[in-house]
Amino acid sequence: MTDGPSEQQQRATRILLKKPLLRAVEVDAFRAVRPHVPQLRTWFELNTGWRLHADSDVIRLLKEPSAPDDPTRPAVDPRSKAAFSRRRYILFCLALAALERADAQIPLGRLAEQVMLLAHSPVLEGSGVEFTLAGREQKADLVAAVRLLLELGVLTRVAGDEEDYLRDTGDVLYDISRRVLSQLLASRRGPSTIDAPTLDQQLAALSAPDMFDSHDMRNRRIRHRLTRRLLDDPVLYFDELDEHEAEYLRSQRSAIIRRISEQTGLVGEIRGEGIAMVDPDDDLTDVKMPDTGTGGHVTLLLAEALAAEPDRVHSMAELHERTRRLVQAHKGYWRKTAQEPGAEVALAGTAVGRLEALRLAERREDGVRALPALARFAVAEPVVRGAGPS
Amino acid sequence: MTVDNRKHAQSESGTDSRFGVFAHLRSEHSDVYRRIMCVFVTAKERFHVHLRPADVYSEMLVDGGPVIELDDIGQKLESLEGWGNVRSDPDTSRVTAVEDFYRRRLLYQLTHAGDAAERALRTFDEALGRRGALQAVALADIELGLRELIALAADDHPDLGKLRNALNGLTARFTDLAENASAFMSSLQRSIDLQGASEEAFVAYKDKLVEYLERFIQDLVTVGASIAGLIKDIDGERIDHLLGMVASEEAADEAPDPDDPQAELARKNAHERWRNRWYGLTSWFVSADSRDSQAKLLRTRALAAIPALLDVVREVNDRRAGRSDRSADFLTLARWFALAPADGDRHRLWHSAFGLGSARHLTVDPDTLARWDADVATVGTPWSEAQPVMVSPQLRKTGSYERRGKPNQVTDRSEYKAMLAASAAEEAEQTARARQAVLTSGPVYLSQITELERPAFQLFLTLLGDALAARVPGQESAEVTVGDGSLRIRLQALPDAQIVEIPSTDGVLRGPDHIVEIVDAAADPARAGTESGAA
Repeated sequence: MTDGPSEQQQRATRILLKKPLLRAVEVDAFRAVRPHVPQLRTWFELNTGWRLHADSDVIRLLKEPSAPDDPTRPAVDPRSKAAFSRRRYILFCLALAALERADAQIPLGRLAEQVMLLAHSPVLEGSGVEFTLAGREQKADLVAAVRLLLELGVLTRVAGDEEDYLRDTGDVLYDISRRVLSQLLASRRGPSTIDAPTLDQQLAALSAPDMFDSHDMRNRRIRHRLTRRLLDDPVLYFDELDEHEAEYLRSQRSAIIRRISEQTGLVGEIRGEGIAMVDPDDDLTDVKMPDTGTGGHVTLLLAEALAAEPDRVHSMAELHERTRRLVQAHKGYWRKTAQEPGAEVALAGTAVGRLEALRLAERREDGVRALPALARFAVAEPVVRGAGPS
Repeated sequence: MTVDNRKHAQSESGTDSRFGVFAHLRSEHSDVYRRIMCVFVTAKERFHVHLRPADVYSEMLVDGGPVIELDDIGQKLESLEGWGNVRSDPDTSRVTAVEDFYRRRLLYQLTHAGDAAERALRTFDEALGRRGALQAVALADIELGLRELIALAADDHPDLGKLRNALNGLTARFTDLAENASAFMSSLQRSIDLQGASEEAFVAYKDKLVEYLERFIQDLVTVGASIAGLIKDIDGERIDHLLGMVASEEAADEAPDPDDPQAELARKNAHERWRNRWYGLTSWFVSADSRDSQAKLLRTRALAAIPALLDVVREVNDRRAGRSDRSADFLTLARWFALAPADGDRHRLWHSAFGLGSARHLTVDPDTLARWDADVATVGTPWSEAQPVMVSPQLRKTGSYERRGKPNQVTDRSEYKAMLAASAAEEAEQTARARQAVLTSGPVYLSQITELERPAFQLFLTLLGDALAARVPGQESAEVTVGDGSLRIRLQALPDAQIVEIPSTDGVLRGPDHIVEIVDAAADPARAGTESGAA
């Protein structure tokens, strides 16, 4: 640890892992990361193969996922926190295509026109894309996409309010940041250069590694893949690894974990079934477990049910039923809307989503089943206190 | 390729053989052809008429362009001959290698038409490609011309010839400078708008341009100021007289007969022309009350151009940052999103293509961590058998931590707060005391002011300073409301005032005696109306 990374460098690494795109206006985070860019760039390049871009406006860690099979990190509407729908994803991409061709500024009304035009472009022919942006609901989808662009910093609002646009009472003017726009795609290859018919092939092509196939290169790729998973994902199960990866991990485990620990402050939780890099600071994550609030509580209680019978698949109907009972038992603590009829479906859905995101449970065709790491939690014995405040 | 070019040449000559010499411009390799022709023109300037392909080859090694193979040059020369730009003669000189002997050896020279075409192209390039350049040397010349003019003006009977020379020289240089400046400004604007300039050319050009701008601004500031100084020094009437003399002489050339009524008119016109030129020169360098000089405008403009240029550089770099056509990339992604079978697939696509998600990790509490450290045997055991992370029963029961453990250890800051409050109170009291101490009981002489405590004296000095600053020269008295508006000071100067001394803890204040009155503004409502006028 003598010449390991400094505390500031650890902090910079964690900031970037949590938020891979930083803009200069996010002053504190930007300043915390900027001085460490050269070291971080070397580290990420060596250990993960992720590129780190930095200029005076943007710092961007171009995170390619370890494996293109993670459905638990959707784009979310910054306001409602709801995952993007098909329409919103398409509108988001069309808006980016329009912005790419726009001048330095654009009003929302103009952007909407451009998006409509692009929706008729030959590229999209036969994909069933149909936009009119006529009603309020349709416009709301565009506004959700724009809000994400605002949050990412591709757009900066100059004047106006999106609400006015929705109500047809006004327009909104934005500045476009070319720097941010040019750093948005993380894939090594431009999608337009890929001609693959199925999604899996498309995803594979997006992160296609260079074609050299020497022994060293293969080892490096394996190291990158393993490190990426440990750095970015909550749990790495050994049974997901192929033969080469398992072999490499067996021989290099302690070195890989030590490097990650030094760089991030995460601690390796090494178990029979897999490895979790856990965070003593309880900060380097977007989903917490255990968590407070109604959502966190439902998750905890359903997790308990799943963990009680780890080998059984619990059907969603079963989980809905259980949630309904939980609502009755905890209505004093939970938010009011939990008691509305049918709320248990949404509650159970969110809870399972969280467990899935944390790799503690898996969703299958016929229901949900616990994954081994779920067993790491137990409810502590209640502590009986003496005279102190209870 | 050769065959191709020849075909091209023939079709060109078929339409109008006179312009065949321009055919190479439309060829794919027009840049190579132009380089070859350039070698011929340069050689001709050195009176070398005949060139071997090898000569052309060696000249082109040093002209800065990419290397062209000798064989290729031979082919290109044949093409040029086909178009009529050059003419070949057999080369009969000795060779020293067998292969040279077998090689078809020719000497080339420019044809008349080829030469004319090349000259026309150069003119064309100059006229269109000309980026206005500002000659710093013109500034120096103008300065020199002005000095000469001043020397002549000092002479009672200046040499008319020298005078005319000096004025004409000055006019010529100045016209150059003004024209250049306007060309420069428009070419600068072209660069900034990225019109007609390729991005590569611009990036290569911008360093030089910025450096040049900085140097020019420097010159404009120093030499421009010196020129403006000289112009101001020159006596207006004297110069007008000199201009009149030159004008008379010019008019005499136009209408030699002094009795001709046209002569007087010609002289007047000539004088007016010279006056205009002089005015132009003056207004270029000297700012008048109502308008800035051209030189100043130019300087401002050039200064503003530097950041604008850097912005363009940034934009160009941004455009280059995307390797593929980003717009097409996003459209393709839109298509993929549209065709993806399920929501989960779209989320996968989002995560893969944009990689904007947060890292996601489970947590561990310090107690558990300590237990793990103590018991290394947990490493590698199944999760169900290892020591678990404990979830608080409170959280399990209610979904919140609120009643867990002891109340938070919030630092007790009441002591510091009390200290802060006390010091704030003390300060406020001190201010109030000082305020009270400087109030006068009606108008008093400065000499009557007795020793003041330090805070009071500081306040008194501030008041006095503000009042003195507010006093309009020539007026005896001043009245001003100061600081937070709570105090008002009136000051009245005395004729033949004595120097008075006011002692204080920090030293002695000396100055001419005044009548001074300091009142509490709140208690002095009578003057409230006049206050704004006095301040």
